[in-house]
Amino acid sequence: MTEVKVIIADDHPVVRQGLRQMLAVEQDLTVVGEARNGQEVVELSRRVPWEVAVLDYNMPGKNGLELIKELRQRYPGRAVLILSMYPEDRYAVRALKAGAAGYLTKESAPEELVSAIRKVAGGGRYVTPTLGEKLALELEDNRGKPLHETLSDREYQVMWMIASGKTVRQIADELFLSPNTVSTHRTRILRKMNMKSNAELMHYAIAHHLVD
Amino acid sequence: MSEVATATRSAVVPEGLAPETATETAPQAKILLVDDEPKSLFALQELLSTLGQNLMIAQSGEEALRLALKNDFAVMLLDVRMPGIDGFETARLIRSRERSRLTPIIFLTAAADEMSSMFRGYEVGAVDYLQKPVVPEILKSKVAVFVELHRKSERLKESEDKLRRLAAHLISVREEERAHIAREIHDELGQVLTGLKMEVTWLAKRLREKPLIEKTDSMCKLIDTTVQTVRKIATGLRPEMLDDMGVIAAVGWQAKEFQKRTGIRCRAKLPPEVKLDMDVSTTMFRIFQEILTNVARHSRATRVDIELIVNEERVGLEVTDNGVGIADSDLNGKKSLGLLGMHERALLFGGEVRITGTPGHGTRVSVSIPVQPKA
Repeated sequence: MTEVKVIIADDHPVVRQGLRQMLAVEQDLTVVGEARNGQEVVELSRRVPWEVAVLDYNMPGKNGLELIKELRQRYPGRAVLILSMYPEDRYAVRALKAGAAGYLTKESAPEELVSAIRKVAGGGRYVTPTLGEKLALELEDNRGKPLHETLSDREYQVMWMIASGKTVRQIADELFLSPNTVSTHRTRILRKMNMKSNAELMHYAIAHHLVD
Repeated sequence: MSEVATATRSAVVPEGLAPETATETAPQAKILLVDDEPKSLFALQELLSTLGQNLMIAQSGEEALRLALKNDFAVMLLDVRMPGIDGFETARLIRSRERSRLTPIIFLTAAADEMSSMFRGYEVGAVDYLQKPVVPEILKSKVAVFVELHRKSERLKESEDKLRRLAAHLISVREEERAHIAREIHDELGQVLTGLKMEVTWLAKRLREKPLIEKTDSMCKLIDTTVQTVRKIATGLRPEMLDDMGVIAAVGWQAKEFQKRTGIRCRAKLPPEVKLDMDVSTTMFRIFQEILTNVARHSRATRVDIELIVNEERVGLEVTDNGVGIADSDLNGKKSLGLLGMHERALLFGGEVRITGTPGHGTRVSVSIPVQPKA
C-alpha cells in the first residue's frame, strides 16, 4: 500500500489533535504537517511533500475559497479536502467549484473522512451521499418541472402545511378558509402530484427539502 | 443711524455685543426687521431690544432675501410698502425657499390699508398683520411668542437628532455584538464539540463490549445534535453567509429558508454576486429579514417576489407579496416600530424605504441604499 502524505489545517488545537489521532491508526495515511491558518498552510505546502490537504473552511486570514484556489493553482495534481463546520448544502458546491476535491462537515463519521482522503488521494472526487442526492435532485428538477412547481401558490402553501403535519381543521383556521375549501385544495394537490395520501406528500416534501 | 443704514451686514446687536461672528453662535433667537425707513427700523429696534434677542435689520426686500438665505429667523417683521420688491413679494420669495418655508412673517403697514391687502398678506404666508403705529406691548408680546416657539422647535430638532444618533449607535452596537457572539459560539463551542467527538470516536474504536460501544454511539449522536443547535443559534444571530458570500447569496438563502419555514412561496431574482460594503450589506439584509417577518405575521400572502438589483450607485431591493395589503393607518401606527426601524436603518446609510399597500392586493416594499457608504 502506498503511503498518503496529509497536511492538516485547523485553527483549533482540539480539532488538529483529534484529526491526528484519527489518522494515526491508519497505516497508509501519514500526517506530515499541521497549520493553524491560511498563511501557514501556504508555507507548509511549499516546505513538505504532500498529496492531500485537509483544511478547515474558515480559518483566520485567508478565506476558504481563496485558499483552495491558491493551492489548486500551485499544485494542480494534488487534492484539497475541506472539513468544515458549515452545512454542506450551502458551502459544498462552492468549494467544489473552486477546485476542492471533496467537502465534509465536521459531523461526518471518522471512517468517512478516512475513506474520503483515500479517494481524493487517488485523484477522485468525494461527495457525501446526501450531497450526491441533492445534486441528482437538482439535475432532475432542471430537466422537467418538479411536481410541486405545478401547484398554485395557495396549493403550495396547503401542501406545505399538510407536509408539516397539520390537520385540515388547523389549516382552515390558520388560513381563514373553510375546512371544505382546504379539503378541495388537498384533493387537487394529490391529483396534480399524482399521490394518494398525506404520507406520500410528507415523504416528497422532506426528500425535496421543502420542509425542515 | 446712518451707519446702520449703510451697513451691508445689517446686524445690529443690542447691548454692545460684537456683531455677526459672535451672533452666529449666540443662543439668542434671530429676528429680522425689514423696513425702508431708517426711522421705523430704529423704533422697532428700540422697542424689541428689551427682549434680549438678536435683531437683524434689512432696508429692502433684496437685503431681507439675502439674509434669509443664511439665517433661520424666529420671526420676521416685514414692512408692506417698500421700493423695489414690496413686502408681499418678499414674503412670497422667502416662503418659496426650503430653508425659510415656515418662517413666521408679521406684516407692518403705515396706512390704514383696506381689507384686500390684508388678505394678500395672509395668502403669501403672513401669520399676523399689524398697523402702524403699533402698540408696543402688543408687538412685543407677539414677537415673544414666536421667539418661544422657535426655541422649542430648535430644541425638538436637537433632541430628534440625538435620538437618531442614539438609534444608529444602538443598531451598530447590537450588530457588532451579535456578530461577536455568533462567532464565539460557532467557532469556539463548535470546534470544541468537534474535538470532543473525535475523542469519543477514538475511544469507541478501542472498545470491544457492545453496551459500551452503544454508549459512545449515543454520545456521538448527542454531540451532533448539539453542534446543529450551536449552528442554528449562531446563524440566527448573524448568518455566516453574509460575511463569507455576501448579501446576494444571503438574501437567496434567507428566501429559501423562509419558504421552508412558512410554506409561503418565494421567488427571488438575484444578480450575479458582487462584493459590497459590509455595513451596507448588513443593513440590506436586516431590512430584508424585517420585511419577511412582516409578511409572515400580517400579510396572509401565499407568495413573495423578491428582486435584488445592484448597479454602480445603488443596491435596490423590491419585495412584493400577494397578501391583504398594508393599510395606511398601519404604516404610521403605534405598532409600526418595526417599519420605523427599517426606515432608520436605511437612513443611516443615506438610503430609503418605500412601502405601498393596496388593501386586498398585497404590499410592496422598495429599499434603495447607495453602494458607497457615506463617509
